[in-house]
Amino acid sequence: MSVPLDPSLSVEAAVLWLSLLAPLPLGLVAWRFPPRRMLPVLLAGAPLPLVTLWLLSRLAVDGGLEGAWSLGGLLLHWRLDALAGLLLLLTQLLLLASAAYAVGHRRAIAVAERDFAGFWPLLGGLAAALGLIWVAADLLTLYAALELMGLCAVGMMLLPGTAQALTAGMRYLLYALVGSLAWLLGVALLLGAWGRLDLAGLAADAEPGAVTGIAMALLAAGLLLKAAIFPLHGWLVPVHASAWTPVSALHGALVVKASFFILMQLWQRLVPEALAAAWLLGGLGSLAILWGGLQAWRASELKQVVAWSTVGQLGYLMLAFPLLAGTSAAVATLAWQATWLQLAGHALAKAAMFMAAGNLVLAVGQSRLGDLAGTSRWLPLSLMTFGIAAVTLMGLPPSAGFTAKWLLLQAAILAGQWPWVVVLVAGTLLTVAYVFRVLRCALVEDAPRREVRPVPGGMDLIALMLALAALALGLGAEWPLALLREGGLP
Amino acid sequence: MSLSGELVPAALLVILAAACLLDRHLRRACLVFIAFALLMALAWWRLGAPWLALVEAVLGALLTGTALFHGLGHLGARSPLPLRDHARRPRHQATARWLAALAWLALAAAAVWGLLGGGELSVPSEVMRRPLLATGLAIMALGLWAFAHHLHLLRRLLAFNVLGSGVFLLLAGLAGPTVEVQGLILVGLVVALVGSVLGAALLRRLHALDGRVSLGGGAGDDR
Repeated sequence: MSVPLDPSLSVEAAVLWLSLLAPLPLGLVAWRFPPRRMLPVLLAGAPLPLVTLWLLSRLAVDGGLEGAWSLGGLLLHWRLDALAGLLLLLTQLLLLASAAYAVGHRRAIAVAERDFAGFWPLLGGLAAALGLIWVAADLLTLYAALELMGLCAVGMMLLPGTAQALTAGMRYLLYALVGSLAWLLGVALLLGAWGRLDLAGLAADAEPGAVTGIAMALLAAGLLLKAAIFPLHGWLVPVHASAWTPVSALHGALVVKASFFILMQLWQRLVPEALAAAWLLGGLGSLAILWGGLQAWRASELKQVVAWSTVGQLGYLMLAFPLLAGTSAAVATLAWQATWLQLAGHALAKAAMFMAAGNLVLAVGQSRLGDLAGTSRWLPLSLMTFGIAAVTLMGLPPSAGFTAKWLLLQAAILAGQWPWVVVLVAGTLLTVAYVFRVLRCALVEDAPRREVRPVPGGMDLIALMLALAALALGLGAEWPLALLREGGLP
Repeated sequence: MSLSGELVPAALLVILAAACLLDRHLRRACLVFIAFALLMALAWWRLGAPWLALVEAVLGALLTGTALFHGLGHLGARSPLPLRDHARRPRHQATARWLAALAWLALAAAAVWGLLGGGELSVPSEVMRRPLLATGLAIMALGLWAFAHHLHLLRRLLAFNVLGSGVFLLLAGLAGPTVEVQGLILVGLVVALVGSVLGAALLRRLHALDGRVSLGGGAGDDR
């Protein structure tokens, strides 16, 4: 199967690649001239999501875009379908929010401009890597983008420079490097067996068999390690607890999900019918939901609660594998939509929650839950943002989390896969438990008056906008879901 | 080239990898690693990939070697690391890591066996490439063992680099020195270099902060 190669680059393709690579020069400019106010950052970044919206409207007219770059005899394939476009839009919005938040965060934690400047080129690299991952359609581009993302993420984690951050970052680096070698070995086996790297060609050529299975197992191991899926989640919590707030927000919202996205793409193309393996992944996801929820409930520091809740919420995504493997078309459609809605809703809500938690911790100057007593009176806006973000995580209506979990529940019942129903209910109860534990600490009315240092208003506003966006996504879920339906399953 | 002509450099690669990973004298281990990387470059050259050989020599041997020596603090820095690694891992620790390493190796060996036996290789398998596959597996085994076993961060970085070289050899052995393989190895070499530089810089900072050279057996640390 040969991919049609259009010699004349279409306007859409040129615009897409410009917007994918634009974060790199923007990051370098911000490194040289660190922004002091949020507005210039927002203005510089705002064209990117607008461009993506335009591309999405073009996609609705003439289907997906695809093509290939020729690089010294190498063909690097890419394609933009509705799913990739929506994820690109989500990424750009979250990156923009985090970039603006980071400006306020630097002022609030009083870090010298020079020490913070390193954040910007890394952010640009991360943005470019994430964009590449959504559109890449061959294993070599995916490998390069995955590594760029991982290394930029490690770099951002290390920026605070504390012993805690350095140890957590070193562990993350070692995990990420070994995960990438597992991935490379899987790629080597696929290349040896089928002689090609493009996803479409592999989907057509690769026959299920021992070698494909082993290659997929190695690829999955590397990706699960990078996605922090139970039981390979050990590195996530220390890293999130010690990183700067905008960095943890981006990492929990996007970086771990990029690995999940790649895993889903490969799974659908290489081993869509592997029932036992899909149930294994679903089982791991269930354990992640339960273990993450329990640990979040037991955690003693606010950022740890949020980080453990990421471990739990990632588990919901893994339930897609058993619901997509060998089930009826109706179940598969429900599960497919639920998964991407859960991913988007969780990304928005988790970024909002990290930012709200960061604002609370900054304002109070303490990170333990017990020290939050009385914040309902002194910091109502930050706490409200935390609560609204929690609505999505708990899956209460009208949030995106509710719609996603409702679709997932329907799919599980329709497919007769009852274990997931139990897990969904238990996970929701655990989420309610840890959220209310935080709120109970914050709502203590008779707490002694303490000195709070309110953060700049823009930081609260950005977090609130993200939390509200997660709610609005639940109300307006029809638009992305309709785009996804047109795109169909891969 | 005769088969025996291939066996000598292959055996030498395995010996150098083992020497680099077993040596508790860190500077010597780093020097052996540089020799190992140069031999890797020679292997790429003999496979008909001169550009890859050049990149391996510059990135793998020269720059990674410099980074590792910088990590040791033996390039004129003020507080060099102790030259010997005396740490011994307590027995029965990190069982999960051992299992993961064994599973990795078993999967890789089974897949290579299946590809060779079933004639499923996309490029007809040549006898010449068999030593490459065997060497790749052996070096991977050494790297996995060292990565699971060692505590010292510099030795874990060495183990990661050796493990990576094993994967590259396996890749070249399975698919031949095609342009895709060279692209993958090129990206892999750049990643390994950046990872080593970052790791070495981190090691220096951690050592300067509180004198440590290992992460300590943290919970959930299972690879």
